Amino acid sequence: MKNGLALFLGVFATLALSWAGLLLTAHRQLGSLSQFKDPVDDVLHPQPLSGLADQGRLVYQDLGCVTCHTQQVRQEGSGGDLARKWGERGSYARDYIRDTTVFIGQSRIGPDLRNVGARTYADADFFYSILYAPQSKAPGTNMPAHTFLFDVHPVAGRQPSAHALTLPSKFAPGAGLEVVPTRRAEALVAYLLGLKDTYDYPIERSRNTPAEKPKEGGH
Amino acid sequence: MTSPDHSDRTEQMEIDTSAKWPVLFFFGSALLWLLLGGALQLIAALKLHLPGFLSTCEWSTYGRVAPAAQNALVYGWGMNAAFGFGLWLMARLSATTLRHGGWLFVALKFWNIGVTLGVLGILGGYSTSFELLEMPRFVTLILLASYALIGAWSVTTFSIRNTENVFASQWYLFGAAFWFPWLYALAQVMLLKAPVRGALQPVVNAWYVHGLYGLWFMPVALAAAYYFLPKILGKPIVNYYLAPLAFWWLVVTTAFAGGSRLIGAPVPVWIPTLGAVGNYMLVVPIVIIALNLFGTVSGRYRALGGSLTLRFILVSMVGFVLASVLNLALSMRGFVQIVQFTLFTELRDWLIFYACFSTAMFGAAYFILPRLTEREWRSPLLVKAHIGATVLGGLLLTAGLAYAGWHQGHLLNNSAVEFVDVTKAMLPWFAFRTAGLVLLFTGHVAFFINFVFLACPINSKNTAVAVFRDPPNMSLGPQPPVGHSLKGVGP
Amino acid sequence: MSAPPDSNFRLEQACASDDSIQQVHAQLLKTKPEKTDGYSMFPLVLLGLMCTAVFFGSIYLAHYSLRFDPLVYNEHASREKPGAVKIVPLTRVQLGKKVFDLTCVTCHQASGLGQAGLYPPLVDSEWALGSEERIIRIVLHGLNGLIKVKGTEFNNVMAPLGETLKDEQIANVLSYVRGTWGNAAPEVQPETVARVRAETAGRKAFWTAPELLTIGN
Repeated sequence: MKNGLALFLGVFATLALSWAGLLLTAHRQLGSLSQFKDPVDDVLHPQPLSGLADQGRLVYQDLGCVTCHTQQVRQEGSGGDLARKWGERGSYARDYIRDTTVFIGQSRIGPDLRNVGARTYADADFFYSILYAPQSKAPGTNMPAHTFLFDVHPVAGRQPSAHALTLPSKFAPGAGLEVVPTRRAEALVAYLLGLKDTYDYPIERSRNTPAEKPKEGGH
Repeated sequence: MTSPDHSDRTEQMEIDTSAKWPVLFFFGSALLWLLLGGALQLIAALKLHLPGFLSTCEWSTYGRVAPAAQNALVYGWGMNAAFGFGLWLMARLSATTLRHGGWLFVALKFWNIGVTLGVLGILGGYSTSFELLEMPRFVTLILLASYALIGAWSVTTFSIRNTENVFASQWYLFGAAFWFPWLYALAQVMLLKAPVRGALQPVVNAWYVHGLYGLWFMPVALAAAYYFLPKILGKPIVNYYLAPLAFWWLVVTTAFAGGSRLIGAPVPVWIPTLGAVGNYMLVVPIVIIALNLFGTVSGRYRALGGSLTLRFILVSMVGFVLASVLNLALSMRGFVQIVQFTLFTELRDWLIFYACFSTAMFGAAYFILPRLTEREWRSPLLVKAHIGATVLGGLLLTAGLAYAGWHQGHLLNNSAVEFVDVTKAMLPWFAFRTAGLVLLFTGHVAFFINFVFLACPINSKNTAVAVFRDPPNMSLGPQPPVGHSLKGVGP
Repeated sequence: MSAPPDSNFRLEQACASDDSIQQVHAQLLKTKPEKTDGYSMFPLVLLGLMCTAVFFGSIYLAHYSLRFDPLVYNEHASREKPGAVKIVPLTRVQLGKKVFDLTCVTCHQASGLGQAGLYPPLVDSEWALGSEERIIRIVLHGLNGLIKVKGTEFNNVMAPLGETLKDEQIANVLSYVRGTWGNAAPEVQPETVARVRAETAGRKAFWTAPELLTIGN
C-alpha cells in the first residue's frame, strides 16, 4: 500500500458502501412508511401528538430524559418488557413516524416510557407529583426531583390555584405555600400522557407473531 | 549494528520543532478537557446514587450533566488528543515538517470554542438528545470547519511525504482522518438538517456512534500500538504481512457493524442482523492484530519495566481485545436480551474509548511531549500514580460494570421484581462506579501536574533537560541485545 | 540482558529510527515470512478462520434477516413468505375495546363498574347480558330516565351514539361489553345492528326503560 490514491479510494469505498447498504437501503424501505387507516373506525394511526404534547417533546429532549429512559418495547420472546407490562405488544417502526425526534434510548436506569400514558395509574397528578417529588410516588427511586419545573409561591392574599399539587405533607414545601406546575411541566406531562401505542396494526401483528417453537430435543 | 545516521536525527529534530507548539497545545487542551469532563462525569456518577445532589438547578440535572460529560470527554479530550498525536506521527512517518502550523492554532481555537459552546449548550437545554450528537446544531459548522483544517493538514503532510514506504500506522491515521468528517457530516444532515423519519433516526445514530468509536478512536489507538511497539522494542511487527488484510477487513466490517447496537429495537430485523454479522466477521482482523501486537511484545516483557509508553500501550492492547470480545458478545441475541440497557452496554463504549484509546494516548503523550519540550518528566512518583490509578481503576471498573450489568439485566427481565427494587439493588454498584471513576480522575490529575511541570515555561525551569540518544536503525537480522537499548540516560 | 530493567520514567528512549521502521516493514510486506523447516500450520488455520467467519456470517444473515422485510421486528417471527402467512384478524371483543376506551370509558369506567348513583354498572348487568335488541337501541338513540340495574335505580341520561358509531363499531363495542369482566353473553353481529337501525330509522327521541322492556322478550 504505497499508493495514496488507492488508499484513499479504499477508504472512501468503505464508508460509501456502508452508507448505501445500511442507511440508504433502510431509508428506501422505511422512509415512506405511512399512517394506517383503520377500516372500521376510519381513524389514522398513529395519531399525531397534540400541540401541547409536541412542546412537551422539546422539554423531554432538553432535560435529557432519554439518558435514563428508553422508549422501546422489545418483541415477544425477547427480554421481560411485555411481562413488566411496559406495553401490550412490541414496538413497530410505524409507531414512531409521528415523532419528530425519536428517543428510543439505550439505558434503563429508569423504566421504559413508551406506553406510560396508557398505564392505569398514569394521570396528570401522578406525573406532576413524580416530577416534583419522585420519592412521593416511588419511594427509593434515584430519579432526580425536577422542582425547577414548578412555581412555589405563598397562598396568602390570593386565590389558591386550581392547578396546585396535592402532596403528602412530608414532600410539601410548607404551610402557606403551594406548588403550581409551570407551562413547561404542563407540556411535558401532556407529552407523557400521549405516549401510548395501544393500536395494533394488523399487517405488523401477523408478520411478527412468533413462529411455533421448534420441538424440544429434536429428532 | 549500523551506526545511526546523524542527518536523520537532525531531520527529526526539525520535525519535532515544527510540531512543537500545535501538538503541545492540542495535548494541553485535551488534558484540560479530560479534567473538566472527568469532573462532570463524577457529578453525574454521584447523582445516580445520591439523587438529591445538586438537583435543584436545571443546569445540573442528571439528564444534562451526563451527556455533557460524555461530549466533553469524547470531543474535548478524545479528539484533541487524537489530533495532537495524529499530526505528530503523520509528520514523523512522512519525514516532513508540519508546515504553516499557525493555521493549526486557528483550527485548535475554533475546535475548542465549538466544544465549549456545545457542552454549555447541552447544560443550558439545547441538547438534541441524539447520542454523541447532543451538541446543539449551531456548533456543527464550527466543529466541521476547524476539523477540515486539521484533517487537511494531516492528509497534506501525508501526501508530501519524503518516504518511499507507507507504514501501518499511516493507513489507520489516513483512514480515520477521512472517516470522522464523513460520518459526522452525514449524521448531522440525516438527523438535524433534513431529518429522516421515525425509526430511521436510531439507525443513523447507531451508525454514527459505532463509526466514531470503531473508525476513529480505535484506528488512532491501533496506529499508536503499531508505531510504538517497534519504536521502543527495536523489533519489527511479527507477521506484518498480514497487517494490510487485517486493516481492510477491520474497516469494511466495522462500517457495517453499527446495526448491532439496535438488537431488539423497533427497526427491521435485518438491520441488527447485518450489524451482528459485521461483528462476527471482525474475529479475523482481531486475531491478526492481536497476533501482530502481542506477538511483537512476546518474549520482551522485561522491557515493560523500563518503558512507560510500552506499559500504556500494553494496557491499550488488552483494552482493544476486551472491547472486541465484548462487541462480539453484544451481537449474540441471547446474551444481549439480558444485558441490554444496563451498565454492560456502557462498558462496551467505555472499553473502546478509555481502556483502548485513552490509554494509548497517555502512552503516546509520555513519549512525545519530552521530545517536543526537550525536558524530562519531573516526578516519577506522579507518573507511577498515573499508571497505577489507570490500571487499578480500569480493572475495577471493567469487572464491576460487567458484573453489575449482568445482575441488573437479570433483575430487569424478571417481572416479579419491582422496578424500584432493581434501582435499590443497583445503588451500591453505582457507588462502586463512582469510586472507580474517582480513582481514574486522580490519575489524570497526577498526569496533568506533571504536564504543567514539563510544558509550562514558568514551572519547567527546574525540570531537567532531556538528552536523547540517536535511535539505532532496525534491521531484519538478529535482534540487538535489549539491555543496551534500555539503559537509562543519567545526567 | 546486561542491565536490569530501568525504572526511570523521566524519559523514553527510542530503539529504532522512524526511517528504519518503515524500510524494514516494507521489506516484510514484500517478502513473505521465510520458510522455516517443515510445515507451518499458521496460514492454514487463519484461512480456516476466515472461511468459517464468512460461512457462518452468511448463514446467520440469511436466517435472521427474514427476507429483509421492513415490517418484521421480531427475529423469531414466522419465516414464511408474507403471502403464505395469513393475517390473524382480531376478534370482535378485541376490536370493541378500542371503541369502548374512546367512547364509553368516561362514564362506565375501564372496570365496567360505572359510578355508584350516577352511571350503572355493565359487569354482570341484566341489561348488558340480556336482549341485544334493547342495548343496540340504547346505543343508537340514547336513554333517558329511571332505570333499574342489579336492583339499584339510576336516573341519568345517556347520549345517542348512532350518528358517530358505525354498525360494525356498535357491534364490536357491545360484544366487548358482553364478553369482558366475566360477562359471557354471545357476540353482537353488525347485521343485527343494521337491521335495528333500519327498523328505528325515524326515531329521534331517547329511549326509556319501560319502553325498552316491551321489546325483544
